[in-house]
Amino acid sequence: MTDQPTAFERFVQGILPENPVFRQLLGLCPTLAVTNGMKPALTMACSVAFVLLCANIVISLIRNLLKPHLRIVVFTLTIAAFVTIADRFLAAYFFQMSKTLGPYIPLIIVNCLIICRCEVCASKQSVFTAASDAMGQAIGFGLALSSIAAVREILGTGMFFGIRVLPENWPDWVIMVLPPGAFLTLGLLLGLVNWIELIKSRRAS
Amino acid sequence: MNFFKNSNLAQAWLVLLLATVFGTALAGIQVKLSPVIEANKTRETMEKIPDLVLDTSMATQTATQDLIIQSRVIEIEKNGITKFYPVYDVQQKNGSLAGHVAKARGQGYADKIEVLIGLDAGGNTITGLFILDQKETPGLGNKIVEKTWRDQFINKLSDTPLIVVKSKTGQPNEIDGISGATISSRSVTGIVNTTIADIRPRLLPIPKTEETE
Amino acid sequence: MIYFIDIMLIALTAALINNFVLYYFVGICPFVGVSRKVEMAFGMGMAVTFVISIAAFISWSITTMVLIPGAPLSSFVAGFFLPKEMAANIDLTILSYIVYIFSIASAVQFVEMYVRKFFPMLYSSFGVFLPLITTNCAILFACLTIMSHVVGVENPKDMWDLGRALTLAFFGGIGFTIAIVIMSGIREELELCDIPEPFQGAAITLIIGGILAIAFMGFTGVDSGIRDLLLPETPSQVSAMIQKQPQFSENIISSIEIFGIHMEIQ
Repeated sequence: MTDQPTAFERFVQGILPENPVFRQLLGLCPTLAVTNGMKPALTMACSVAFVLLCANIVISLIRNLLKPHLRIVVFTLTIAAFVTIADRFLAAYFFQMSKTLGPYIPLIIVNCLIICRCEVCASKQSVFTAASDAMGQAIGFGLALSSIAAVREILGTGMFFGIRVLPENWPDWVIMVLPPGAFLTLGLLLGLVNWIELIKSRRAS
Repeated sequence: MNFFKNSNLAQAWLVLLLATVFGTALAGIQVKLSPVIEANKTRETMEKIPDLVLDTSMATQTATQDLIIQSRVIEIEKNGITKFYPVYDVQQKNGSLAGHVAKARGQGYADKIEVLIGLDAGGNTITGLFILDQKETPGLGNKIVEKTWRDQFINKLSDTPLIVVKSKTGQPNEIDGISGATISSRSVTGIVNTTIADIRPRLLPIPKTEETE
Repeated sequence: MIYFIDIMLIALTAALINNFVLYYFVGICPFVGVSRKVEMAFGMGMAVTFVISIAAFISWSITTMVLIPGAPLSSFVAGFFLPKEMAANIDLTILSYIVYIFSIASAVQFVEMYVRKFFPMLYSSFGVFLPLITTNCAILFACLTIMSHVVGVENPKDMWDLGRALTLAFFGGIGFTIAIVIMSGIREELELCDIPEPFQGAAITLIIGGILAIAFMGFTGVDSGIRDLLLPETPSQVSAMIQKQPQFSENIISSIEIFGIHMEIQ
């Protein structure tokens, strides 16, 4: 276990260097679907953070009991249970939000991000490392979601968190809050991130 | 064979244990949260009812507790299709009938639109309209939820079907269409027309069977 | 007749209007990952369509037989332990997500074994994609959509039967296939293009996906138009439509503002 990254490294890596959306292209489904406003995007990020943290901690606690060929079953079971909890909780206390997000909350179960973190980190490392890894990845995911949502909400409706930021005569780019806007925004942001990375590596060499 | 069975069980004990633990946890959550979720669902409709039946000024004065709301379902058989309309009859504390609210659904531009229609006693005029659920195009079709557009329906008489027009010519049964969203505005108007035509003959008298709600 | 129209509209909506990939964003991972070659994309699409239909059948059966309150199987079993009224209302829908994901996983597993044993030809064309499908959101999404039309429906007549459920799933899979095949066709041509370096790979795929989504948006409203023509709600509405005949083109063309430019989309 000497070559495994430490808790702090895991935490930092998740935020930018190994950002789940921009670098690893994981969990694209909610990234595109719920980013037409900041509020649904942040709710989604919080739900993913909750499920990721709980699943990582549980898997890390039982990591020594896992049988290799049954591990995926255990991961899925754990994730599905926590997603159900998150879904019920939202329906009980944030009813409107749960209606807006609809099926995308249960779809967290098949979000590759969580199962990937369970496999890569939680099933191998201690609880503390797994928890900090989950936090880092969740923050990275939240950042990615909110950056896309910010672009889409501001350009699409002229508002940010429902508060008007652009002048009244701004012609709303409706396309940005419609499905195509999600693809375009993520595509362009991905290109931007790659471009920055490219410039950095050229400078270094 | 027996040994094989045992080893299978032995391998899966963790999965079974986890399933039991999570199952118990979920049962607990279900028991604790499902009343809250159910209450949310009914509250969504109930909160809107005073606004839809009473004038805005009166609705703010009258709290929900001062009204007696009874629910029933009106069943209509038409062209071989059975339709159900949940109807809420609203009575003042003193027993006078304030009006009715009907919940109706219909096809919109993108998906189903669910609306609440407020009617006065007997269903002669429309007293309010609220869009409960819609998935119309943001920025265009979803302007049907805006109050200024919905308020056009208030005080319309229910004996002539409403029609959507581009520019008003002064007829009493005209509704201004939303530019760029003709279909959405027409769908809502269509739902209102159909619902009123279906349920109006059945609104009065109110059946005395249900005293709950 | 009404049932047939309903089925047809569900099929049309699932395949084109509310395309799984381009409208609901489910199944984006294979859409970006496995869309380099047309044959691969087609194999993936077929595998998804196959599994999605089986998963829909299993999940619909389990939902109606076991999960919903008053389901025959659960109330029968609970009848041994609980008083009659409680047994008839036992609600297991909270377990639905866990049940669905496991029925999908086992469906994938069985399909893989069955196809490998009895249809080696078929297996060689799409077998490699089968294990990937378990985590494909499209399958779970189809199960969830079916669930939303079965659980908590206000009146029992609106509840979806097996025919509707299977139609949604099968044509959802077809829609997925259409989207991913179109995408791979474009990407094959794209190999010959000079794309700026940062945009190569996923970025350009997503941007093309955006343009495809704009194209598919043109289908919106087709279903409500067909429904109005085939199933007129009230006589007054029909006469209103006939009166409006000269302006009929207006109903179909709706204007939309893209990037601040006023555009007419048909």
